[in-house]
Order: sequence, then C-alpha cells, then structure tokens
Amino acid sequence: MINTVCDEMCLPPTDMLYGSPYEFLETGIEGQALFNLPFGDIVNFLTPYTAVLFIFALTFTIIAAISKPERQVDTVFGGDACYTKDIPQDTLRFQRFMAIACGLATMGGIMAGDVFNFTLFTAFIGITNIGIVAAVKNKHILDNAFEYGLLAMIGTLPLFVGAALVLATTGTLSMWGLFNSSAAVPLFAKLLLVIGVIAEGMAPVFVAKAEITRAPGAPFILMVHVSSLLIFLRMIEIVISV
Amino acid sequence: MTAMTAAVTSVSVTGAFGLSDFTIGIIGAIVCIFISFYALMRETDDLHRLLLTDLIEVIALIAIALLGTDLAEALILPGLVVGVAELTAMSQIYTVKEKLVREPDSFLDIEIMHTAPAIIAVGMLIYGIILSGFTGGAVAGLGMLFYFVCRGTDEKTEILETISGYAWVMWVIAFMIFMILPAYWFFALMLAGAGILAKVAIKISILGTMRKNDGNGGSRQIGGGND
Amino acid sequence: MTIIRKVSRILQNHNNLTAVYALVVIIVAAIGLISVAVGDITFEKNQLYPKTINPDSPLNPYDRGGEPFALADIKAQYPDNSPNLGYITGYLSPLAILLTKISPHLGTTIVAHPGGILDEILYSTRGLDTIVETSILFVAFTTAMFLYRRDEE
Repeated sequence: MINTVCDEMCLPPTDMLYGSPYEFLETGIEGQALFNLPFGDIVNFLTPYTAVLFIFALTFTIIAAISKPERQVDTVFGGDACYTKDIPQDTLRFQRFMAIACGLATMGGIMAGDVFNFTLFTAFIGITNIGIVAAVKNKHILDNAFEYGLLAMIGTLPLFVGAALVLATTGTLSMWGLFNSSAAVPLFAKLLLVIGVIAEGMAPVFVAKAEITRAPGAPFILMVHVSSLLIFLRMIEIVISV
Repeated sequence: MTAMTAAVTSVSVTGAFGLSDFTIGIIGAIVCIFISFYALMRETDDLHRLLLTDLIEVIALIAIALLGTDLAEALILPGLVVGVAELTAMSQIYTVKEKLVREPDSFLDIEIMHTAPAIIAVGMLIYGIILSGFTGGAVAGLGMLFYFVCRGTDEKTEILETISGYAWVMWVIAFMIFMILPAYWFFALMLAGAGILAKVAIKISILGTMRKNDGNGGSRQIGGGND
Repeated sequence: MTIIRKVSRILQNHNNLTAVYALVVIIVAAIGLISVAVGDITFEKNQLYPKTINPDSPLNPYDRGGEPFALADIKAQYPDNSPNLGYITGYLSPLAILLTKISPHLGTTIVAHPGGILDEILYSTRGLDTIVETSILFVAFTTAMFLYRRDEE
C-alpha cells in the first residue's frame, strides 16, 4: 500500500495542485499560488507577489556571488596623495560566503509555506547578517555587530512564540491551511511575528549608524539591506493573509 | 502498537481555576517575558545582556513546549539550536571586541591529564557511535573535548570545521533522499543519524580546541588582537 | 524640550535600541495578556502529532511511538507527502532496545531512545526545518571560527 503511493510521489510535483491534499490557496496580496513544492509537511509555494521578491533576491545573490568589491580609497588631506586599502583575502571569502548564505536564506524565507519554517529562515537571515557585519575588523563596527546580534537573538523569542501561538490556536502551521481557514489567528500572534521580523531586519539601522558601508568589503553589506527589505515584505503578506 | 492501545492519557487537561493548562502556561510565559525584558531594558553591561538573551531564548522554548504534542518536542530542538548557535557566534564577537584573548595564568596540571585522555576519549567515541544520533554526538564530542583539553591542539580546528561541513552535506543528502526517494528511508535515516553524530561531536570538540592548551599543563600566551 | 526631540535623543544612540525594543516587546506582551484575559487565545484540541503518555511502556514518559521497525500511527499534516510515514519512528538504536528490556524505568534517560517520532518529524515530515537549523548552526560556527582564527594571528 505504501509503495504504490511512492511511485506517484516520486514524480516531479508539477501537476500536484489539482487533486492534491492542499486546498486552494488565496493570499491577501496578489492572488493565488503559482506552484507548490512539497517537502513533507512543509509545502513551499510562490505567488505572483512572492515570485517578484524571489527574483529580486536571486538577482542580488548572483551579484554577491560574482562581484569583485572595489578597494576603498583613502585620500590624504592637505596633499594630493591617496592610497587604496587591501581587503584581506579570507575576509573577502568569508563575507562572500555569508552574503550568498544570506541570499539563500532570503529566498527560502520568501518561498516558505509554513510559519515555523518562515521564522527559522528569518533567524537564519539574522545570523548571516551578524556574520557579514562582524567580519569587518574594527572595534567600532564589532560593537555594532554585537548590539545587532543581541537584538537578533531576542528577536527569536517573538518569532518562536508567535509561531507556537499560531499552532496552538489553529492546530496547524501550514500556510495552505492558515490562509483559507476561518480559524482566525489571534492578534497577539500576528504582533509577535511582526516585532520578531523587525528585530531580525534591524541590521540596516546598525549598518547606517556604524557607517559600515564605508568599510572595506562594503558591497556585501548590500545583501543585508536586500534581505531585510524582502523579509519585511514577505512578513506583511503572511500577516495580512492569515 | 501495544503502546497505543494501553491506558493512554492525554497530556492536555484542565488545570486550576477552571482555566486550561495552556492558558495558565501562556500567562506564566508572558509574566516571564515582562521580567526578562524589563531586566534587559535596565541592564547596561554587555556580558550581562548577553546572558539575559539566553534567558529569553528559554522563554521561547517554554511557549513551544506548552503545546504538549510530539510536534512541540520536535520544534523545540530547532529553537534550542538557533539559540545556542547565535550565542556561540555572539560570545566570540564579544571576546574579540573586548579583546579577551589572554589565557588564565595557570591551568590544572595533574598526572591523569597526560595518561588518561586517549583511553577515555576512545571509549566515549565508541560509545557515542553505538548510541548514534544526537545523544551519541554529545557523548563522542565530550570524549573528544576531553582529549583536546588535555592534549592541546595546533591546526586541528580547520580539519574539524571541514568534517563538520561534510556532516552538514550528509544531512542535506539524507533529507533529499527522504523527499525524492522515500523508498530508501532507512538509508537516509542512517545517513542523517551519522551526520548528526559527526556534527554534534565536532561542534562540541571545537569548543575543546578553542580552550587553547599546549598540553604541558601550562598556558600559552596569545597575543592580543590588534585593530 | 519637545517630545520629539526627547524621543530622537534616545533613538539616536544605537546602544539604546535594545532597550527600546525590549519596551516594545513588553507592550506587545501586555496586549497578549489582555487578549488571554478576554479569551481570544484558546487552545485548539485538534493538534498534529498528538502526544500520549502510556505509564506501562518501558520508555515512559518519552515513548515516542511504536515498536522498532514496525509501522506506527502518526497524524501528520500531509500524510500523502510522506509515503513511509510511521516507519522511521520505529527506529530505536540496539542499545535502546536492550535498555527497554533490562528495566522499565530507563525511559527518563535520553540514552534509552535516540530515535522515535522525533526522527520522523525532524528528518522526514518537517525535514526542511532541520535543514535550516543545521545551516544556522553551521553559519554561526563558521562565524565564530573565523573570528577566532583571525584573532589568533
């Protein structure tokens, strides 16, 4: 009995939407799901809205992967001398790795079809952002990385508590169930998810405050901004739809 | 199947004051949130704030645990790991930023630390492999931790990091097998079990190598970080 | 001093942001307390993967489902996506099986049961969660090791 099911399941899940166990999905923003990608209980999907976000994230991940950061040029005041700062090779490699990981996490968060999975991807973005910022060898910037890290850590509380409350009050975590059902998610859970994402997406504030964009290897900082923006937009879709 | 048919009690029952256990629990969790976040608001010392964040992570786990289902138990594990992972990275950032790289002047130097490590570490490693999975990883990791603490290491951290990368890849492959070729679930299960064994063991032993001991019982002075 | 200047004076120092955020969380928690009081948050009885406690099992209280290598009954979200649902949960390590036979009181030690339904959920039905979790751990350790090694030089 089990194995016969397997034969169908092993096929690529392109035509699964019809006659599938998932109900028709209609999000609060821009229409229904384009396709689904089942991983057991977690069924990922993209809507026209999130597809745009996904392409955006993909573009910037590719840019981070192939870009060669320019060297920082310092001009000496009072003279016409200027000198370039070399970025250590391992710092560059590490930041590129973190930027790509951040891009992948952003894409995962955009595709997530499950509230807890979404919160985990958001936490993933937080930790990669900490990595990107902390790679710069400068006391001032490390201070900021630490402050942001604290915020990202305490931000996991609202995220996880929010997801736990969604599960407790509705009995499911799947967005396929939550977006349709009449079982309303309480305001408290929604608020927790919102402030959780705010904490994880706070990185650009610290980036701007510490003027990290002027530090060596700055182009990878771009990924911090992109990921925060996209995860905010995705969070808005979830909160409106549930 | 006998487990299912025997006297089975549901976890969720009605508690005191006519409120459900869940309601009482969630009120307790919210009170904990008040206390811990108020403490965080008032605290100014960086190290204490770092410790408070760990306290806060625990409250998140409490909220998940209130569900009382097997799913809750499974969700706690990622929640816990996220907290531990972030704490690890943050402690390192704290150490670097405060330049706390100097070793304590004296380190416990007793005879047993020169003779025992190998046999104890091998024993714990074998026992860990028998246990397999998360528990096995913890046991094997502790064995390796003990070995590295006693013997000291030079360039082993990079090797350990590489192995941990492979463990991660094993895990992902196991997941792919579960999803694409579910008929081979047993192979995938063993792969994942071995992956988590390697992952947990290596991560614990990395902590051992970061302890920085040259193996002579004494300590090695490490130069402070320069900006 | 106007209220806006006061607020911006606090916000301009990034060291205060954590405190400000803590205040926001406290406010939200207060809203939560109110919504619990008015009965907005109620526990849904129909939960996935329900946990049962069987006092007679040698693995009590952590009897996580079924006999080794036998099919267990599991309530998953989308059972169709996991054709081998219930098999993985039967996995117990040889040592765990041995311990269950020796004594009925070893259930409280985690040594007795590395597997169980947690394996089913963590590896298979909600495997993506675990992938993300291990990736987070991987990235965090990479960060820590990078900082540590750079500091060593």
